[in-house]
Amino acid sequence: MNDLLSRVAVLLTTRFGVPKEEFGADVTLADLDLDSLSLVEFGLVAEKEFGVQIGEDEISPKDTVEDLVRLIADKGVAA
Amino acid sequence: MTTAVVAGLGSWLPPRVVSNDDLSRRLGTSAEWIEARTGIRHRRVVEPGMSTADLAAQAGQRALKSAGMDGAGALVLATTTPDYLCPATGPEVASRLGLTGIPAMDVGAVCTGFVYALATGAGLIGIGLADRVLVIGADTFTTILDPHDRTTTAIFGDGAGAVVLRAGEPGEPGALGPFDLGSDGELAELIQIPAGGSRQRSTGVPAAPADHYFQMQGKPVFKQAVVRMTGSARAALDRAGWRTGEVDRFVGHQANARILAALAEQLGLPADRIVRNIDSVGNTAAASIPLALADAAGSGQLRPGHKVLLSAFGGGLTWGSTTLLWPDPSTI
Repeated sequence: MNDLLSRVAVLLTTRFGVPKEEFGADVTLADLDLDSLSLVEFGLVAEKEFGVQIGEDEISPKDTVEDLVRLIADKGVAA
Repeated sequence: MTTAVVAGLGSWLPPRVVSNDDLSRRLGTSAEWIEARTGIRHRRVVEPGMSTADLAAQAGQRALKSAGMDGAGALVLATTTPDYLCPATGPEVASRLGLTGIPAMDVGAVCTGFVYALATGAGLIGIGLADRVLVIGADTFTTILDPHDRTTTAIFGDGAGAVVLRAGEPGEPGALGPFDLGSDGELAELIQIPAGGSRQRSTGVPAAPADHYFQMQGKPVFKQAVVRMTGSARAALDRAGWRTGEVDRFVGHQANARILAALAEQLGLPADRIVRNIDSVGNTAAASIPLALADAAGSGQLRPGHKVLLSAFGGGLTWGSTTLLWPDPSTI
């Protein structure tokens, strides 16, 4: 697991109630019970954690954890 | 220096309770979905024929009684749902309270309305226009909702809350601190009733029926609410010279329980300092903060001497915050 994926895993499991055993790169955010408002909340937390802005329309519950990690990486955060 | 001091507090809710179960069938969703998304379990809704003035007069009367006063020198009513497009509802409320003749006005800042009205009331005291000002937040938002739009109908409820402000000294129990108020008209379309005003009427083209209802873009509003209230709350704290750790109770606009949780996290406030009554009343717009104050005072969550931080956010966009030393209940 790369660094960024690990950091996202820590955020989702400690701050968003995602069970560790359900976490995986290919799991959709909806399957982790993250709804669209959760992703806005994640964006606010990510801004502090990674120093990047995530727009409301850049990620949806249908995307996977890997999509989310790629989005953050594309904004210049080292994977 | 004269400052405004809270001398009375009153609230009123229409008796009809509407639960998530009552709404879920109409909205094509479940009671659990509504509660998970909003933190709301039920809300109060006006009976047919009941208006914002009816709610405002009840809350205003209770606030005056709590202050031991039979009148005020001015009235400021925060509302987005006035009884009529014209005239303002404040004068009617003043007359119904036996206060015909005093200056009375509406303040429109949607869900930030009560904080804007508090600042207006404090200003009227500051310029010497009145020694006592009745500040009311009242809304009947259920009258402007599309009954089939779950993003709004699941959230809003009706209600009214009021405080009496009197002239006093900075730092005494009940004293309001400095205000932070702001707006961003570039994002007006995020929270809007598109039709019924001059913009649409001047076109001469009838509006689509949906445009007469209150519309809100949930995701960007959620983010703006957290970002703007966080910034405004910090500004009000700075102006008051308070550190975040000194805040005993945070009374934020009860828009959504998840917004309150995100705000607490951004501000670094523990959950037990956050006043919440949204589960039983929903988002009551301009009535939200005084209803939360009344609920917290009644349950003992607010105690004399508590350092209280108030913050609200609403359409406009608008936002505003202030601080308050909670007074001894025997004095209000």
